[in-house]
Amino acid sequence: MTDFQIRSDNVDVEQIMRQIRSRIREKRGVDYTEEEIKELARVKLEKFLDPTGVRSDLLVEYRRTKGEAASNPNYKFEDTTIFETHRGFVRFMRKLLYPILKLFFNPHPLIDALHIQSDLNARSFKREELQYELIHNLVLETTRLGIQVKNLRMQVESMSSRLDFDERRARALEGVVQYRPGAVPPLQPPQGVARDSREEGQAQEGRTRRRRRRGRRPGSGPEGTNGSFGESHQDGERGEPSSESGDAAGQARGDRPRARSTSGEGGGQVAPTPHSGSASDAGPVPPKPHSVPGREGGPVPPKLQSVPGSEGG
Amino acid sequence: MKLAVAVQRYGADINGGAELHARYIAERLARHAEVEVVTTCARDYVTWRNERPSGVETVNGVAVRRFPVDRERDPRDFGRQSHRVFQQSHSLADELSWLKSEGPTSRSLVDYLARSDAFDFVILFSYRYYHAYHAARRLATRAVLVPTAERDAAIGLGIFGPVFRSVRAIMYNSHEERAMIETATRNIDVPGVVVGVGSDVPERADARRFRQKYDLHRPFAIYVGRIDENKGCGELFDHYRRYATTFPRGLDLVLIGSAIMPVPDHPRIHHLGFLPDEDKFDALAAADLLIMPSYFESLSMVALEAWALGKPVLANGRCDVLKGQCVRSGAGLYYESYEEFAEALFALESNGPLHGRLGRNGLEYFRTHYAWPVIEGKYLDMFDRLKQTALVRTIDPLPGWFARRRKNLPPASDVLRGLPSGAVVRQRA
Repeated sequence: MTDFQIRSDNVDVEQIMRQIRSRIREKRGVDYTEEEIKELARVKLEKFLDPTGVRSDLLVEYRRTKGEAASNPNYKFEDTTIFETHRGFVRFMRKLLYPILKLFFNPHPLIDALHIQSDLNARSFKREELQYELIHNLVLETTRLGIQVKNLRMQVESMSSRLDFDERRARALEGVVQYRPGAVPPLQPPQGVARDSREEGQAQEGRTRRRRRRGRRPGSGPEGTNGSFGESHQDGERGEPSSESGDAAGQARGDRPRARSTSGEGGGQVAPTPHSGSASDAGPVPPKPHSVPGREGGPVPPKLQSVPGSEGG
Repeated sequence: MKLAVAVQRYGADINGGAELHARYIAERLARHAEVEVVTTCARDYVTWRNERPSGVETVNGVAVRRFPVDRERDPRDFGRQSHRVFQQSHSLADELSWLKSEGPTSRSLVDYLARSDAFDFVILFSYRYYHAYHAARRLATRAVLVPTAERDAAIGLGIFGPVFRSVRAIMYNSHEERAMIETATRNIDVPGVVVGVGSDVPERADARRFRQKYDLHRPFAIYVGRIDENKGCGELFDHYRRYATTFPRGLDLVLIGSAIMPVPDHPRIHHLGFLPDEDKFDALAAADLLIMPSYFESLSMVALEAWALGKPVLANGRCDVLKGQCVRSGAGLYYESYEEFAEALFALESNGPLHGRLGRNGLEYFRTHYAWPVIEGKYLDMFDRLKQTALVRTIDPLPGWFARRRKNLPPASDVLRGLPSGAVVRQRA
């Protein structure tokens, strides 16, 4: 609102007023012009309003009552009315005899009363028109509000669906964050205890190896997965980064602060839960076994390749 | 040079627009000529009751001659006659009767002006009153009219056309007033100039003193004038209450003037009543801006005073005169709806460069057009011009007895509707 630029000594007030009006139009969000709203109110109220609540035939009804009122026209009563006649002589005589008439009674209160009554009739007629205008304007405003409510509802729906989408996306990202470190433990379909124990041993060994190698290669993970890695280290395996080269870890953090902060926000808050979940619940981790047992020749998803690739150097 | 200033009421304690205007002009012209004010004994503009003694007195160094009003105004009769001439087809006799009913009817005042040959010019204030109409008819060769015409139905009455066409000169208050009168009465060949009036704005106004005296510490917008529905105050209060809800830290509203209507009980609306001039100017200096909500003004003196103090004005855009002045001066914004009111008020409140530039423009506009030397010069120039040119016009005589009673004149409100409206953006040379 304060962005009227005063660039010279000459202020064009009309220009400023045009800016103010355009701003008002922007604020209102003119999806419909005044004429369109009037048209909607007149013709298709029932589309926006409860038809039992507001009548959409106000105009027709008003015209009908106005026609009835016109059949009983108001009379005008002025101070000269009682003397009026088309005969000049009679009018003259009446005025001449007026003082005598006043000897019998005072006609002024009568004239005043009838004049006031006539005036009241005229006012009442005008008021009726105002009432119609008022109701009509109310209907217009109700229509406008109905439209606005509808628009707002649509906006809310749109925003909630976007929010829903963002939440799902966040969860998916969390899943990815959790996925790589979690590539370790879980969870093979049981193929025998010996194999299990052997594989588990290998997995354990591989995991340790991998951690060490990762520690030695601070710049690795150019795909941006490093950030998630780091986070998961911090969250899940806190002791290990400290055992690694502090410089490298710091460098890795410093290299991608933004990715870090982004993932940090998500991972920092949400990561513990998936971790704990992975320990107790194998549900979300079905692809993970493929990562470690990738060596077994199973299908390796592309993202997983980067991790073993870095491991394999 | 000897001048007479004829006005319906006069006094140091009378603050009505045209009356104050007349007093300022009389006092200023008294520095250049011998001036006598001719007025009535009335103080109240509703009844015209004789409340002051007739005779001669001196007010602020100017001789004032008062004449009694023949009869007080009967408001009911006046209302009825107004309805007849404004809303119905009527006759010239009806209009003359309306004029008499409006008052202030003082035949002795008109007779005095007509009889006295001592005056070179008679400056008649407010075309719509009895004294101005009859004096203009009887001494058109010396009459200089200051119409102070607003956009109301009286300008559509047939009796005033010949007056506007036959006086020696017309001193208009605004370009809008001039355009309206020229269209309504076809008097384009009558010498005229847009003058207005100046104001005795003090060299220095003390904003701090005002804030301390009235315990006002927040920034505020100000309204100065009668607090009356007819002045647009009802609409102002509605708009302001909505604005205050939307902008809880926005400007307060300070009202100065006597209240004819109830003032809302609102924590941010401060009604201070009628204040002396010193306090009024201090208040204007302390205010961020002046709000003028009036629909009808022939010239807003308080707006000029605000501009003289470098304060911008937020005016009602439905008043052609105020809107025109805002546009021509580049010293104010205007509104025609609540949205515009709120946006414009907030813009003036929050945009320092805009506020400052409008204020400076206002000061410059006042100095250029409404400083006293300018106003006095325009009057004196006009008198010189009139002295050098001979009068060739004569006033149209009133029609005969029967013709005056023929109901062939349209309702004045219909005539008014046919007149052009809108602000005059470019001044005529």
